[in-house]
Amino acid sequence: MGTDKAASARPIERKNEVLESINRIFGEALSTKNEEQLACACLAVAEDVTGARTSFMSEVDVRSGEFVRRTISDRAREAHAASRPPPGSDALPGIAPDAVTRVLRGGESVIVNGPAGADRPTPRAFLGVPLKQDGRTVGMIGLIDRDGGFRAEDRAAAEALAPAILHALRSKHAEEALRASERRLQVLVEGVPQMVWRAVNGGHWTWASPQWTEYTAQKEVDSHGLGWLDPVHPEDREGVQKVWADAIQRGEFHADYRVRHASEGRYRWFQTRATPVRDDRGRVIEWLGTSTDVDDLRRLQERQQTLVAELQHRVRNILTVVRSVFSRTADMSNDVEQVADHFRGRLDSLARTQVIVTQSASGRVDLENLIREELLSVGASDSPALTIEGPEVALPPKAAESIGLAIHELTTNAVKYGALRTPGARLHVSWTTNMDYGGVRRLNLIWSEQGVPAISVRPARQGFGSELITEALPYRLGAETSLQFRGGGIRCTISVPLPEDMAAPDWRQG
Amino acid sequence: MTTASGSQAEGARGLQGKRILVVEDEYFIASDLKRAFQKAEAVVVGPVGDVGQALALVAEQAIDVAVLDVNLEGTNSYPIADRLSERAVPCLFLTGYDGWSLPEAYRDTPRLAKPFAMEAVLETVARLMNVPPHPAG
Repeated sequence: MGTDKAASARPIERKNEVLESINRIFGEALSTKNEEQLACACLAVAEDVTGARTSFMSEVDVRSGEFVRRTISDRAREAHAASRPPPGSDALPGIAPDAVTRVLRGGESVIVNGPAGADRPTPRAFLGVPLKQDGRTVGMIGLIDRDGGFRAEDRAAAEALAPAILHALRSKHAEEALRASERRLQVLVEGVPQMVWRAVNGGHWTWASPQWTEYTAQKEVDSHGLGWLDPVHPEDREGVQKVWADAIQRGEFHADYRVRHASEGRYRWFQTRATPVRDDRGRVIEWLGTSTDVDDLRRLQERQQTLVAELQHRVRNILTVVRSVFSRTADMSNDVEQVADHFRGRLDSLARTQVIVTQSASGRVDLENLIREELLSVGASDSPALTIEGPEVALPPKAAESIGLAIHELTTNAVKYGALRTPGARLHVSWTTNMDYGGVRRLNLIWSEQGVPAISVRPARQGFGSELITEALPYRLGAETSLQFRGGGIRCTISVPLPEDMAAPDWRQG
Repeated sequence: MTTASGSQAEGARGLQGKRILVVEDEYFIASDLKRAFQKAEAVVVGPVGDVGQALALVAEQAIDVAVLDVNLEGTNSYPIADRLSERAVPCLFLTGYDGWSLPEAYRDTPRLAKPFAMEAVLETVARLMNVPPHPAG
């Protein structure tokens, strides 16, 4: 009876204790670092309000019914450490498994009090309370051992705490997930090669990623407002501000401008894009922007344009030259087959030189290679009557084209009328290089045939070959040339300046 | 027969005795131009392949009209056009590029893209000389 009276005097006091406990739980929710710590703190609160000696919490997956986590209170941990079995063992000592099942499956609170006074191993009492979310049981709190066993009011207190505990845990979980997501985002933002920034009011920066400071050496705070314009190229500042002025109306910001690279000490081109972040009513709150280094890309594009223009120029020039060569070839003879034969030979020679030009990385042509290719085309490259000697000379494309054609004319003539046709005759091709008085490097080439009987009739094709050697080479290359038809064979000398600026044409320079 | 009517046609162009400056760095093109003008009984000044030589000719010789390759070994022939313009000598540009944006000063200067038809060169040159002298003159 005395106990009943005490119990009837207590409801308000008890209610206050429960409310205080709920307050404690929300207090812990703010101060604990993670879900695990919070769960332990909640169990301690539940132990205090119910007088349980130890406690645990189990959470289950709603769909599979599997345990996802079991938390043991600090006091349970201490008790377990002092006795066997060790913590983490699956079965909770002495608790009837069906009691746990009734809580988790049945979703109801359960009290199991053992026989009082008996000196039996723990637990002597068990109180299980389900944790429910939207009517479904997602876990339970198990309170173990209370002197005198658990009472209805302990169950009521634990049931009152359960929603607060679950709410606190869920909030903590969301908070942790958000923090993890923010960390991932931060790693991403700081790890990407782009500079990332935030801005308000038409380009007033509020934040810049570390890449900005690393690239520009401008402090992050100094980039705020319009401070970021300082490392922008002075010529680009006005333009980029105009783009910002239109950005709100257009709902996007796209601009290419140069930003000074602090360690390289020069400006590099950046492609900048920004997208507005809008509130629920569609108003722009701020802008998120990225700036990507496109300097290398731009330079490659410019180079490509130069190359295409140069290529166009070369193709059109060579076509014009081919047409001229054709007219001249056609003018020399009325025999269509002869014209076709000569023209084909000249075209092939031009083509061979083009191939060698494009094959070498420098665009230069090895002189010996050029001569050998030409002789090879008539099957005379390894004739015992032939000697080729000279130092290594790399001809620029322009010189290679003209000299290649001259070698072709000389070769064709030698095959038809000269040293490459006459048994016992010899062909000697040699060259040297020297500096002339003007300090210009010159190539001096001698084509010399010996042992060729005198030809009474000058071959018709000499017209083109002679013009090429005596007129075109001097005009085109500033060469000094001579071509003699002597007893014993042709002797041709070609002296060509090889100025250094011809060494690598503009369009080959990176 | 063809030769006779050809020379008649050339004569009808009105190029006889006209002094035509040819600036072109490619020998065969220069040589073709020279032959075509000579066939039309014009007097060819040059041909030359670089700006320096061309400017020397402009300074020393009487010139009625000029044919200029725009790209002379990577340098452009605008200085020659400028000097000719000062003397009210008309000129024709030959270019190897598409999308070539000529500076504003030369926008009214006629041009032909390579490879050009010789007929077009002869016609254009003849037309240029029929243009009355500069109003300023």
